[in-house]
Amino acid sequence: MATFEPVLTRNWNVPDARSLKVYESRGGYQAARKALTTMDPDAVVNLVKDSELRGRGGAGFPCGLKWTFLPKDRKETLMCVNGDESEPATFNNRYLLERDPHMFLEGILISCFATRASTSYVYLRFEYIEATRIIEEAIAEARAAGHLGKNIYGTGFNLDVWVHRGAGAYICGEETGLIESLEGKRGWPRIKPPFPAIEGAFRKPTVVNNIETLCCVPHIVERGAAWFKSIGTPKSYGPKLYTVSGHVEKQVCVELPLGVTCRELIDDHAGGVWKGRKAKAAVPGGISMGLLSADELDTPLDFESLRKPGCLGLGTAAVTVIDDHTPIIDYLVNTSRFFAHESCGQCTPCREGTGWMSKTIHRIKNGGGRIEDLDVMLHLAENLGIIPGTTICGLADGAAWPIKNALAKFRPELEEYIRTHQTPGAGPTPLQLDVAAGRRVDLFQVGNAIAAPPPAAALHSPGRPDA
Amino acid sequence: MATILINGTEYPIPEGEKLNAIQMAKRVGVEIPYYCWHPSLSVVANCRMCEVEVGSKDPKTGEVKMMPKLVPGCQTPAKDGTVLVTDSAKVQEHQRMIMELLLLNHPLDCPVCDQAGECGLQDYSYEHGQSNHRFVEERIVNPRKDVSDLIQLNQDRCIMCTRCVRFTREITQTAELQVMRRGNHAEIATFPGVSLDDNPLAGNVVDLCPVGALLDKDFLHKQRVWFLAKHDSVCTHCSTGCNISVEENKGKIWRVKPRNNPHVNDYWICDEGRYGYKDDSAPDDLLEAMYVLKGDDHVAVAIDEAVRLVDRGLKQAVIGGRTVAGVLSPFLTVEEAYLMATYLKGMTSDAVLAVGPVPARGEDRTFSPDKSAGRSGDTSFLAPRPFTIHAEKAPNARGVRAVIEHVQGAVVEYDELLRKVEAGEVGALYVASGSPTDWIDEPTAAKVREKVAFLVVQDSRVGALAHKADVVLAGGTYAEKAGSYVNADGRIQYAGASLPPRDGSLPDLDLFAVLLDRPGGPARSSDVLAELAEAAPAFAAAKGGTLPLYGATLEASASSPRENGPPPFVDAWYAAMGAAKAR
Repeated sequence: MATFEPVLTRNWNVPDARSLKVYESRGGYQAARKALTTMDPDAVVNLVKDSELRGRGGAGFPCGLKWTFLPKDRKETLMCVNGDESEPATFNNRYLLERDPHMFLEGILISCFATRASTSYVYLRFEYIEATRIIEEAIAEARAAGHLGKNIYGTGFNLDVWVHRGAGAYICGEETGLIESLEGKRGWPRIKPPFPAIEGAFRKPTVVNNIETLCCVPHIVERGAAWFKSIGTPKSYGPKLYTVSGHVEKQVCVELPLGVTCRELIDDHAGGVWKGRKAKAAVPGGISMGLLSADELDTPLDFESLRKPGCLGLGTAAVTVIDDHTPIIDYLVNTSRFFAHESCGQCTPCREGTGWMSKTIHRIKNGGGRIEDLDVMLHLAENLGIIPGTTICGLADGAAWPIKNALAKFRPELEEYIRTHQTPGAGPTPLQLDVAAGRRVDLFQVGNAIAAPPPAAALHSPGRPDA
Repeated sequence: MATILINGTEYPIPEGEKLNAIQMAKRVGVEIPYYCWHPSLSVVANCRMCEVEVGSKDPKTGEVKMMPKLVPGCQTPAKDGTVLVTDSAKVQEHQRMIMELLLLNHPLDCPVCDQAGECGLQDYSYEHGQSNHRFVEERIVNPRKDVSDLIQLNQDRCIMCTRCVRFTREITQTAELQVMRRGNHAEIATFPGVSLDDNPLAGNVVDLCPVGALLDKDFLHKQRVWFLAKHDSVCTHCSTGCNISVEENKGKIWRVKPRNNPHVNDYWICDEGRYGYKDDSAPDDLLEAMYVLKGDDHVAVAIDEAVRLVDRGLKQAVIGGRTVAGVLSPFLTVEEAYLMATYLKGMTSDAVLAVGPVPARGEDRTFSPDKSAGRSGDTSFLAPRPFTIHAEKAPNARGVRAVIEHVQGAVVEYDELLRKVEAGEVGALYVASGSPTDWIDEPTAAKVREKVAFLVVQDSRVGALAHKADVVLAGGTYAEKAGSYVNADGRIQYAGASLPPRDGSLPDLDLFAVLLDRPGGPARSSDVLAELAEAAPAFAAAKGGTLPLYGATLEASASSPRENGPPPFVDAWYAAMGAAKAR
């Protein structure tokens, strides 16, 4: 720990670090110069592959391996940078963009050189207005200084970087959804195969990488793969930006080697749980990754260890702490509402399933819950997502995991909540229950469902009152 | 040989075709349910109904390795060594889940829904669904709206398969329909001020819809589909020759739907053909009897008397040394044209056979789907087939010309015949029309009447010339006659009769057969076609008189078996299913 030297955040506290002059004075663009002038593109790819840099965006796919999927005989390659950082409580990319835009541009430059891409699109989240302005200024500065544009460093390598702002949809952070949105279409993820590396944006081979992944690349080029692998745990290497938010004293974004435990993050870096309370649970990496209970807070936050407590993975390494005064149903209300709202509506299981779960959880919250609702939701959650193969993208997994984890770890609390929070009129009506169960319904018996029919009479009988 | 393992049985994969798992399984009789996939649209795999277990078989060891997750059949290519399992408990549980989810917000208003009886949700719910469901929340209610003057969208019933959206994007490339909003609030909509009104293929989105979301207002609440009898026919509104299914109940046509023919119209028909049936069955201007001119007025006579008068009139003209001429309209079938030509030529070899005027309107419009641009999903399974609406608004100009060429050697054009009539060279004229619109105007009709001593008009409706004719024969509309048509690409296709002949009329083929005194009772179009194929080399493709399901090209060079062969798959929502077909 003592020997760890932060690299991603090293310019953050330097005054005026986002200007090109300061960045260059601190050794900026040296790695890019080294890569472009002394290395072969394939050598850069191999270097990144050797470093076993895994994508920082959420899925943790090895970055170098992704680059090797590009077809060998391609004519044109596109680089899309995923800056649609829309996972709730995640803000590490925003810090990178706003505090050190040139490190990010250097990462793009090296990665585009390695993948032979001459066009790069930076897809930024709609809400990042300030970051967009900063990155556009940085691009103009770098272009003027010859770090971007035509014939960079006299190597004949050309690169254009364009900034594209999204329109506020969570799903556009999924790589193929991002590509569709970039093309001007509705952000609906595509089916794979073909993978973006074969046929991506505008039907050309495309690499999609996260901002933080690309920010690691200059440091790997500068210091080598061995340095990178010396940081972190045996299977997850490198520095990582962790963000901590929620019920902590101090919401922070810190750079630490991969494998730091959740408790360490909360206690050492975020000043502990707020108001002197205890943590009840913590979300390890963005809400789609599930939930750690209080006893599991010693789990190292890396790509491998989070599987053991049943979480989906590291995700964006955005830790959200939930204190012991918060009912777990409130957590579920928030997550389910988010995913029902952000489901793109393409695949049936996700479109209908997230809405169903959200409605059920809201009903439980409002006091109309039934114990069997938990089982129905669990059964549904187990069949949603790309892991059972029922959807195109991973959004439904993200929607299912909080429910699965919460039911596995906090079921007694949820059952207790349902039992003690029964509000008349909030639950399903007897008629709804009968219809749902497929029982034969006598509509005249169920409340005042419909008015009783008039007494039977022949259509034109003379004695009929209304004839 | 490439083989595929489906549910434990090994099947050979047909060569030279790129099939997906649904198509391949259907070939060998295994049904994989699907909604969003359509053989002519790109693959988006979003309904998730067709998910199956997929694996691969090691060619050396024969070991089967299954993928841990389910995979949509529509995006799985049928390759050598692919293993499909479509009936395992896992797949069945998945299908049950999808049916449950699709019906969460579906109103289940089948009793008032026009789609009932040919609905994908009904069929698959019965097969794969469950009778109860666990959803006890409020349903999403979404009011119905209009996407064009003729098409209604019941958003409640929509299952978001996006077939209609992909159709307007990929086939007509007009992109009127969009998906708006997200999640379970997602809906199909048009932008303000945009509608499908100007889309000439708009009606196809109704056929594409596997549920009752998009409905045709022309047909809305008029008939239950299980009362309709479906008859295979060919559209006569232009020279494309789209394959259609004419659906009638008790002698009244209620709607026209496209039939799949990969060589002609794929799955589509234009709105002109779709709604054109109304013109053809409008009862007020159809001829209801045979008429003979007596004094100044037409008198209805019995069929046999009218036919006898025609025969006598024409023969008298021949004996009197006057020229007999016939006008064969491009709305006649090949068989009718052949019998009429034989009849007139058999009377005198000097008879002049002219082809009737071929109506033309506008320009040819071709919709050619581009595989690379505008498609929203995976296009690797697609064979793009262009669809053309021809400006030539007659079904059989080529066929009639070919018949005249065979019988007479050369075709006399209509204008040439009119000149001959004006010069007084024609003593007796036999006009066989069958056109759904008037193609002879009042002044021309008066001129013809003035110059021609004996005028016979055979038509299905009252026209300008019929008012002046000596004898009016009531023939059949396109729906009342069976026969074959040759389309713009030279493909001869058989159209069956959808309705019985109406009272007082006879189908044209029977009229000619009576005139010819053909032995053997009512004429069968297949017998006539067989005779023609025997006699005329141009029609050799129709040998035997029975045409294949997808027609046959007349040119010998193009008649390779693939050209006339069946498609790898026909989307089930079009195939005439169940009891309706059997009637």
